[in-house]
Amino acid sequence: MIEFGHFAAILAFCLSGLQGVQGLRGQRGPAAFLALTALGAMGVSFLTLVMAFARSDFSVALVANHSHTLKPFLYKIAGTWGNHEGSMALWCLVTLGFGAAGAVFLRTGRPKFEARSLGIQGLVAAGSLAYLLFASSPFMRVAEPELQGDSLNPLLQDPALAFHPPLLYLGYVGYSFVFAMAAAALIEARVDRIWAKAVRGWAMAAFVPLSGGIMLGALWAYYELGWGGWWFWDPVENASLMPWLLGAALLHSLIVTEKRGGFAVWSVLLAVLAFCFSILGAFLVRSGILTSVHAFADDPTRGLVLLIGLLAYGGAALGLFAFRAYKIKGGPIWAAASREGALMGNNLILAVATATVLLGTLFPLIAEAFGRQMSVGEPYFRLTFVPIMAPALIALPVVQAWSWGRMDLSGIWKWAAAFAGICAVFGLLGVGLMDIPLFAALGVALGVWLVGGSMWELKRRAVTWPRLLKLPLRVWGMTLAHIGLGVFVVGAVVETSQRYETTLDLAMGGRAEVAGWTLSLEDMRVVEGPNWFSDRATISASKGGAMIELRPEKRYYPAARMPTSETAIHKSPSGDLYLALGDRREVNGQVRWTFRAYFNPLIDLVFGGVILMALGGLFSVLPRGVFKARARQADMASLPAGELAE
Amino acid sequence: MKALIAAALIILANPTAAELNSAEEARAQALMREIRCIACENEPISQSTSDIAGNMRERVRIMVAEGASDAEIRTWFEDRYGEFVLFRPKVQGASDWVLWGAPFLLLVGGVALGYGMLRRKASAPTEIEAVAPEDLEA
Repeated sequence: MIEFGHFAAILAFCLSGLQGVQGLRGQRGPAAFLALTALGAMGVSFLTLVMAFARSDFSVALVANHSHTLKPFLYKIAGTWGNHEGSMALWCLVTLGFGAAGAVFLRTGRPKFEARSLGIQGLVAAGSLAYLLFASSPFMRVAEPELQGDSLNPLLQDPALAFHPPLLYLGYVGYSFVFAMAAAALIEARVDRIWAKAVRGWAMAAFVPLSGGIMLGALWAYYELGWGGWWFWDPVENASLMPWLLGAALLHSLIVTEKRGGFAVWSVLLAVLAFCFSILGAFLVRSGILTSVHAFADDPTRGLVLLIGLLAYGGAALGLFAFRAYKIKGGPIWAAASREGALMGNNLILAVATATVLLGTLFPLIAEAFGRQMSVGEPYFRLTFVPIMAPALIALPVVQAWSWGRMDLSGIWKWAAAFAGICAVFGLLGVGLMDIPLFAALGVALGVWLVGGSMWELKRRAVTWPRLLKLPLRVWGMTLAHIGLGVFVVGAVVETSQRYETTLDLAMGGRAEVAGWTLSLEDMRVVEGPNWFSDRATISASKGGAMIELRPEKRYYPAARMPTSETAIHKSPSGDLYLALGDRREVNGQVRWTFRAYFNPLIDLVFGGVILMALGGLFSVLPRGVFKARARQADMASLPAGELAE
Repeated sequence: MKALIAAALIILANPTAAELNSAEEARAQALMREIRCIACENEPISQSTSDIAGNMRERVRIMVAEGASDAEIRTWFEDRYGEFVLFRPKVQGASDWVLWGAPFLLLVGGVALGYGMLRRKASAPTEIEAVAPEDLEA
């Protein structure tokens, strides 16, 4: 079976190569056909891999190393992409999926451009498949199969993490098609409004799942790793944040290119870089070059091959950019105080923020090359990334109403007064009444400012309340995303500055106080699951009249000889009461258990904010046809005549 | 090995040696979040479940209780385990100025560059027509 899959992957590789040739020759029809057949071949190949995992075929090396008969069925399937080789197979499948989607849905009225986009996508897919087949093949057999597998990393046996990689890859790899469209536009040196209109949907098709993937990863870290946090500026987390930031910059830059024809060179550069940073992320995660809690494969040669791939594809595109950029036309001129100026500020800040994350992630590596062992962690990013992003967040509600070309600034003092007022109110309330630090109070003020400002802008555009529902989905999408950003800021500031954490040491019946809750250890027992057994504590928590029970566990997976902690979380409107079970110890003959207890205020706003941002993005690209028919033609007709001509 | 046993005994015998008030505890926790565990992949001692991290946490609490400043506590750990344990990189050499300064320089440089390009382009700013965003998004 697996040999059939191996053969199908080789077939997909050949078809992708041919797609590259046909596409670059400008043959849209054949390139599209090849893209669809290549996806079919890889689909069959991936299916044989999934089948091997589902049937626990331990004669396949990958299954033997990463599965186990006692594993629940869902995690057997998820195990397919829970390892380096399998995840690369998924990466290839998604690359081909985007190629096939492009073959069907990319309609710009410019068949040559479409063919070249498909061609470059074919070359990207062929490169990924070559890496899969020659550097990390999942299709290998073992000579003498064992009767039992070596199991999956038990930390990964979790619903959030089963779907975290596929979403993340949809994001990373989604930028490959944006990259292909950028390179195709560079070949013909034509980056205009039609191009931007076409790219925007694909850029969003990458951005939305990338947001979801990052959020699921953070959520998983929050409840599974048992340390109460959700983001630690770990290199692997940073690797996913960089393409996200650049992707956000691209979405904003494309607005200028689409509406005004401006920022064309910059948009195309961002489109190239977003994918380069996706490959860079894969390189950082898989090469083992950085130490991280999440790294799941470390092999220097694999890393080297990825680096060569990054240099080849990225270098070729940037070379093309250097030769063609001067030919690309800009839009009409604009004053500094204008919608263009505001969006340029947005892009500058997001680009500098990306550069900061890159610098902080790579700096210890560079220092090590010079013989210096050092670390760059959360305090560095708090002191650089946060102040760099702050001006963009302060300006957002003000500038989103600005007009194209130039803006009359005579009313700006009202905005300044409103912002100062919100800061003063929250500063006084926070520091005076609630005794929280000033910067945290100002952070909350900033979040509220963002939420309120976004709603204000929505109302301003609607003019009257009944017209609110008639606003284009795109405006709703923008508002939702910006409200999400504000919600996220409130959650992140409150959670990081007001989190309470402590270590408890309890004997049976022992009591402790955590953030107003009285905890008492009631029971301790051993529980058995399908492929694990665990110590489960029962702790009663009471506050006022409320009484709840929390059951944190410490699980052991004998097949992997690895413990994991299953945290117990009680949600309440003000935040999560969070318990993780630690070690058993005996003190003077008395058995005691340690617990790590946290109170994480408003943590749901962190995840909810990201979900709102992703939803807003989704809304803003839904064709109006979803609610109203024949809107697309009207959309195209609104562009100046002549731009459609090939 | 002897040292390990001794360390283990210290933790076991007296898991919360230092009694801190809430302000001191908050300061201790902030410090624990920026000191790196030496036995784990990439975790601060506030998160790590390893014994040595527990030991290091206790050391932070004791030093806070003794009235040591944040800088003194950081230096104490750096002297014993090297610069590696500090998640907040120190500013000593020229390269550290690059690390801490480059982000802000880039931002200032970017603003200057953008403004310079704009000045060159827009020689007659009165001719620019203002277009409301709604007109293009309808």
